[in-house]
Amino acid sequence: MNILHLKNGQVVDPSSETNEVKDLWVQGSKFVKEEEIKGQAPIEVLDLRDKLILPGFVDLRCHPRNVTRGSTENISSITKTAAQGGFTSILAMPDISPSIDNPGDARYARECADRDAVINFHLAGALTENLNGKKLSPIGSLKESGVVAITDCPKSTQNNEIFVKGVEYAAMFNLPVIDFPRELSLSKYGTAHDSSVALAMGLGGYPRMAEELFVQRSITVSRNLGVPLHLSSISSKGSVELIYEAKSKGINVTADTTPHHLFFTDARIKDYNTNFKTHPPLREQSDQEAIIKGLEEGTIDAICSAHEPHQLYLKQAEYDVAPAGVTSLETCFSAVYTRLSENSDDIAMKCAKWLSYNPAKILKIAGGDLEPGNQADFVVVNPQEGKIFTEHETLSLSTNNPFYEMPLKPVVEKTFVSGKVVYE
Amino acid sequence: MIWNRTSLLGLEPLEVQEIETILELAKEFKLHLQKKELPSKNLKGKRIVNLFMEPSTRTRVAFEIAAKSLSADVISIASQSSSLTKGETLKDTAKNIQALGADAIVIRHSSAGSPLFLSKTIPVPIINAGDGAHEHPSQALLDIFTLREKLGTLSGKNIVILGDILFSRVARSNLWGLKKLGANVTFVGPSTLVPRDFEKLGANVSHNVNESLKKADAIMLLRIQHERQSTSHFPSLEEYTKVFGLNMDRAKLLKPNAIILHPGPINRGVEIDSSIADSKNSVILQQVTNGIAVRMAILYLCANIPIKP
Repeated sequence: MNILHLKNGQVVDPSSETNEVKDLWVQGSKFVKEEEIKGQAPIEVLDLRDKLILPGFVDLRCHPRNVTRGSTENISSITKTAAQGGFTSILAMPDISPSIDNPGDARYARECADRDAVINFHLAGALTENLNGKKLSPIGSLKESGVVAITDCPKSTQNNEIFVKGVEYAAMFNLPVIDFPRELSLSKYGTAHDSSVALAMGLGGYPRMAEELFVQRSITVSRNLGVPLHLSSISSKGSVELIYEAKSKGINVTADTTPHHLFFTDARIKDYNTNFKTHPPLREQSDQEAIIKGLEEGTIDAICSAHEPHQLYLKQAEYDVAPAGVTSLETCFSAVYTRLSENSDDIAMKCAKWLSYNPAKILKIAGGDLEPGNQADFVVVNPQEGKIFTEHETLSLSTNNPFYEMPLKPVVEKTFVSGKVVYE
Repeated sequence: MIWNRTSLLGLEPLEVQEIETILELAKEFKLHLQKKELPSKNLKGKRIVNLFMEPSTRTRVAFEIAAKSLSADVISIASQSSSLTKGETLKDTAKNIQALGADAIVIRHSSAGSPLFLSKTIPVPIINAGDGAHEHPSQALLDIFTLREKLGTLSGKNIVILGDILFSRVARSNLWGLKKLGANVTFVGPSTLVPRDFEKLGANVSHNVNESLKKADAIMLLRIQHERQSTSHFPSLEEYTKVFGLNMDRAKLLKPNAIILHPGPINRGVEIDSSIADSKNSVILQQVTNGIAVRMAILYLCANIPIKP
């Protein structure tokens, strides 16, 4: 079997709290200890002096749109884009065409992924049929067909009875449940966060309350059923406070946020630029500060890309008509690092925790570390090299990324999945 | 005379001198209108397209009359007759109108920000005739024109705007314009339709009609759009009328010379008592007439500039 020797790199691995220059060895698809390959000559040596080696990133929320073909995104293009951004595993939300709410379509998507995906492609199954919140989908059969989590994201099951039963039922199969907290009656026509910015623009209708009520719902459900729940794409200060209190009481909830909520506030939407129409919407400085503090303190466990591709002509439209959501898989790591490196020590280790180790733990999937015996999914980063991303080099089929034309540093140099280069 | 732009998207970005320019020119055009003569400043040979993607009678007609009074050619496209119903994007519609040789486009659209979007998409002057809950600059300018005719300088004057402020582009444009001219603007109405955050934009916010009326030099009533808000923003029209409607008892609280404005259309007996709408303090019909002169000024300033290809 091929032996790869990673020499002189700065190894950053939260699982063993390693952050030092050391050598790693990969045999075939797995990391191995040096003594296991004693006497065998490495086939390939990579000198990674002054480079960082991080566990491959694990995404908790992205939307491939199509299983195959399509001009917005598909499994092939989204996994290439993810590899470009250093992701080695992604979790596709069930709002794919066809939607992942039945075993047949789940198996078909799985089959296409086995053929087209360049990284580990995981499927989330829908909590309810058609994600419409009315009837539970066949969660047990979905698990048999290969889904690793259950969610109605980008929707949230509005009916409390169905939500509670769905969470309880999914727990029986040991499937993590993810809720995208959005109470719809308060945010039905919501195009923007309710602030003075939106008020002046004649927009609004997606208040913090719409998120916080459902964050509280998940906390209450988790507490009463004693099952874990993951909250996706947290955008409000009040949500961070609720999650903090819940965790301090030992309630088993976890949460993530998005790179755009760390980077931007609603001041960005002032000229009706639809590439800042995110889902949930950008909020205020105080929200952003609370989210960053929440990450630093461990209240927020992870950062998801929230990669939502849309065709250009749909985004080049009236603000309230244009769909919400932005692309970000290729820029996610660089954006997070750029944003938080100024005021945060040990940012590489934190990125590895928020983007790799914690998401893998939440999903209970392999990856997220650099331990011998485990799958060799990792990224090589040149910390000295920055870049301005543009729409021309993205591997995504869509270009609705708010981070284009901004200097970001550093960038992913190489991405490896199972010991093989998938992006360089 | 200062005028720094080819499009009028709203009053928020305008400088005071630009507002003065429009009002001065409107005054000039009003004299021509009274004499029924074609001004020497006109738009002969210019093609104005009225693109109305939301129902409107008075604004559309006022823009049509204004354009015709300047001898411009006017084409009005209503949403029912445009290709939008067939699913064409706004960008494509705009490019088509540009290709047809429009010298200016007057747009009314239910989406906030759509005039700005158009102005970035095509190099044709865009005049905002109302975009969602964002701005309605020509209405605010005619309100300001009328207020100045009646009150003189607006500096230090108390203007009360009463009604559905949250969804009102008229209220927002008036706030920007009136503040720039030194007036105090108070938004009044139920808390669900007049959020406190308006204070951050420079307005006073009050939920007490009677107190607000006492200080007012002018009161502007806004139409209550009961088809949209009656279920969740206030209990019923009857209750609205009782708590916030301008009835005879409340009108007595007004200063004797305080004037009453309404952008129309009026719901008689809802936000305003019928007899008050017709009283001597009401300037509602003068607003309509002034609207033509003000829109002539806007059209002239925007459409008279040669378009760069």
